[in-house]
Amino acid sequence: MREPQIFTAIPPTLPEDAVYRRLGRKQDITAISRAQKNEIQAYMHDAVSLVQLKGSARTLTIIALNDGRIELEDGTVFESAALAKMLDGCQEVLLMAATAGTAIMQVIASDIAGANITRGVVLDATASEVVDAALTWIMAYFNQALLRQGRIVTRKRFSAGYGDLALVNQRTLYQLLKLERIGIDINESCILIPEKSVSAIAGIRGGYV
Amino acid sequence: MSSRIQAILEKRLFILDGATGTQMQASGMPQGVCPEVFGCENQGPVSAMHAAYRDAGADMITTFTFGGNRYKLSEYGLTDAYDVNRELARICRRAVGDDTLVAGDIGPTGRFIEPFGDVSFEEAVSAFKEQVKGLIDGGVDMLTIETMLDIQETRAALIAVRELTDLFTIVTMTYDPHGRTLSGTDPVSALITLQALGASAVGCNCSTGPEDMLGLIRAMKPYAAVPLVAKPNAGLPRLVDGRTVFEMQPDAFARHARTLAEAGVNLLGGCCGTTPAHIKAVAAAVKGLTPMSPRVSSLSGLSSARGHLILKPGAPLAIIGERINPTGKKAMQAELKEGKLGMVRQFAQDQEKAGAALLDVNVGAPGIDEAATIRSAIGLLATISDLPLAIDSARVEAVEAALRLYPGRALINSISGEKAKIERLLPLARKYGAMFILLPLTDDGIPATAEKRRGVIEHIFEMALTHGFTKDDFVVDALTMTVSAEQGAALETLATIDWCSQTFGARTVIGLSNVSFGLPERRWINAGFLAMAVAKGLSLAIANPENAELMNIKLATDVLAGRDAGAKAYIERFGAQTTSAAPTALSDGKAQAPAELVHKAILEGDREAILAWVDKALEQGSSADTLVNDVMIPAIRRVGALYEAKTYFLPQLIASAESMQKAFARLEPLIKKNGAGATKGRILMATVKGDIHDIGKNIVILLLKNNGFEVIDLGKDVPHEHIIMSMQEHRPDLVGLSALMTTTMVNMPEIIAKARAAGLECPFMVGGAVVTPAYAESIGAAYAKDGVEAVKVAEMLISGGKSKKSK
Repeated sequence: MREPQIFTAIPPTLPEDAVYRRLGRKQDITAISRAQKNEIQAYMHDAVSLVQLKGSARTLTIIALNDGRIELEDGTVFESAALAKMLDGCQEVLLMAATAGTAIMQVIASDIAGANITRGVVLDATASEVVDAALTWIMAYFNQALLRQGRIVTRKRFSAGYGDLALVNQRTLYQLLKLERIGIDINESCILIPEKSVSAIAGIRGGYV
Repeated sequence: MSSRIQAILEKRLFILDGATGTQMQASGMPQGVCPEVFGCENQGPVSAMHAAYRDAGADMITTFTFGGNRYKLSEYGLTDAYDVNRELARICRRAVGDDTLVAGDIGPTGRFIEPFGDVSFEEAVSAFKEQVKGLIDGGVDMLTIETMLDIQETRAALIAVRELTDLFTIVTMTYDPHGRTLSGTDPVSALITLQALGASAVGCNCSTGPEDMLGLIRAMKPYAAVPLVAKPNAGLPRLVDGRTVFEMQPDAFARHARTLAEAGVNLLGGCCGTTPAHIKAVAAAVKGLTPMSPRVSSLSGLSSARGHLILKPGAPLAIIGERINPTGKKAMQAELKEGKLGMVRQFAQDQEKAGAALLDVNVGAPGIDEAATIRSAIGLLATISDLPLAIDSARVEAVEAALRLYPGRALINSISGEKAKIERLLPLARKYGAMFILLPLTDDGIPATAEKRRGVIEHIFEMALTHGFTKDDFVVDALTMTVSAEQGAALETLATIDWCSQTFGARTVIGLSNVSFGLPERRWINAGFLAMAVAKGLSLAIANPENAELMNIKLATDVLAGRDAGAKAYIERFGAQTTSAAPTALSDGKAQAPAELVHKAILEGDREAILAWVDKALEQGSSADTLVNDVMIPAIRRVGALYEAKTYFLPQLIASAESMQKAFARLEPLIKKNGAGATKGRILMATVKGDIHDIGKNIVILLLKNNGFEVIDLGKDVPHEHIIMSMQEHRPDLVGLSALMTTTMVNMPEIIAKARAAGLECPFMVGGAVVTPAYAESIGAAYAKDGVEAVKVAEMLISGGKSKKSK
């Protein structure tokens, strides 16, 4: 069984439109002055300079997939009809997680406590999107490695706590991905710490033969 | 053998082969097997594939060793990469004969190398060497490093090759549709790094079809001193009935190949999905085309993993940020001694933000292991900054440690004519492809005059020539001396810059601040000297880019010296700037009263100006009560309405709320003094136990305070008992609970039940990402979707529910 692959320095990308959307901007409705835009963008860049993106990922073979039950080679079972539907036709799952690290959380905490709440709000939204983009990066990495085999990673991914995949599955992902190796902890409510940490499941399908 | 390849490249396009992995799978190689072992054990199909590509017209056939490194092989339980590579190289040779070139194929390890991953750089070099030795002993004529996703791994492979052989080596990386590798390297940065490090040809393969490769080739061609390579896929893969197919047919592929050749590609082949038929079509399509030779023979350019700086004649002055240097910084020295790099990180980020084009890195101080420390600093900087680095150390071993790890083309600061150093540093610069600052001093000291400096510069250049350097590979330090000690010193420096620019034909650099040492108000001397030096043709200055005055002078001199086309950078910097620092109270030609401007400052979230307007309004006779009730509260309510209409979004709402908060803090003592200032009610706020998310709750608190409520914030992850005790202690009019997750939301009804059991009857308001109105209703609480709604809900609950208050 393959061990998790650890990524110690994922290059951060800034999905600007996604950050604006997360902050509630509505295209053609929300009016932002040039000064406000400059200020917000400067905060987004502050966020990018503060994140220390790390990740972990591994692939596991799907042994059985039916009736909303996904069984993996190591005996792990996920129960979710929506996840099973996404994994239909896949031979393997790609489990992955990423974190923005603690430095940005300290700055957000200080900002939100009163230093600069506006910046704190933008840093928070940007960090969320940058971590999410890190999962996209991990999927792209696996896609590239799989291309020679004619295999691809599903475009969608699924996280514990969404749809009918219970949040408690985050604990399983935590263990399988050995997330302590990238500085992530998990609390009794199955929340990953630092706060800007995410995990997800995607599928791998295809092949020339 | 290189001469044979060069001979082909001079007269026609060099034809590479196509896909091997997909071809072998089409020939029956099962999924999930080790391709290299399959190749060794099934020589028939492998040899047939090699021969088919040769017969299709390929000048070079790659060995079936793409995954032949110890990391990939170990996934299949194999340990001897050398044997596997040697065997597959021999199979290839036997298949194609002696008249066709055989290229040893080297692919990625599937691991990330330091500083971007957990594999040490030396371990990676060692792994690649094992593979390269096998390939060489198996009789390859050349090598190809391909499908690389990460520049550092590519460097490790190329260094491994160059430490073993001078065989012609092709290096290609894989770029995404945005024109970057997965690690964020753009094609020009990759080109600068790899051609300087000794790649014989550089380019791109895999990931995209030929159309998308055209842009990459066009970006690289103006800076390529080596031939360019393209090996596209046969279009983009598509999944059809669970199987992957590449749909671009040979004819279409060949048409694109011809376009690539016309754009400047010198070596053409194919990657995933291509077949001997594709290669045959390519060979036919480019037959008779005259190859486009590299446009430059050398390049004055520096690179990092994700950026580059090309020192073109007439380019704007480039500032080398000088702050990463412990000299005179006790705190930094102490940090470095403890192995900490916090200040290095901070200085790098601050200087990059301030407009530095490069970062100078010096970690030399007493009691510090400089080689180890500079290595750590380089590793950190490579991951956090896009700027190329200048390696600044008096110790040769520290320079070597830094150059070996640095994932780009660095600038060595510096190489002087001192015999012991120049003899060691020039070969190092050559090996790692670094540029260097030529420091015109010798074992006899610093030449005092420009004329004497010329002699030293020419002498060092002659030595550099013997190592293969050109004038594009260095910049001359014109040696800035202190004018307070020798007033003519600055003129000698300027004369040196002038001679280098006008006569010798080399770029120049100065360490700016030396000039003013010992004088009062040094900034004016520095500014004047910088402007004079730029006028003489100065290319770079080592300075502090956080000095805004200096950066402004740089922008101005770039315009005046014709180095900022259309004054673009200058206008970008200053075009939007207003000249008035103080509020003008003018809008649309009419004077506005300070109170109106307080209103406006809240609407616009102007946290800078609002206090000035509040003070002005007070000065002109407005009372604090009037300002709050008649100006500020209507303003923040207007902001709330704009937010609800989505004309404003969250940062605007918060900026307005912060402006309001600032103004209110200024007025609050006056209101209390007047005996006014009763609150609308007391609210207790908490994020429930187990939940660490509190930004939403904090926004609600800010808006509640803005609207006249007293708020007691219990924080996040608050135990039920603490909330109940606080309710008993503070007797709030309302309790607000926040939860972001389904696992923590369940604490809300428990808290409400405990409160009721304790006889506390005050209302609850709940919110958070997973909380819905229906859920709130089911647990007997009110719901607020955001801060603006929370204010309304609180007003409604408190004004209508005083009788239920838990007193």
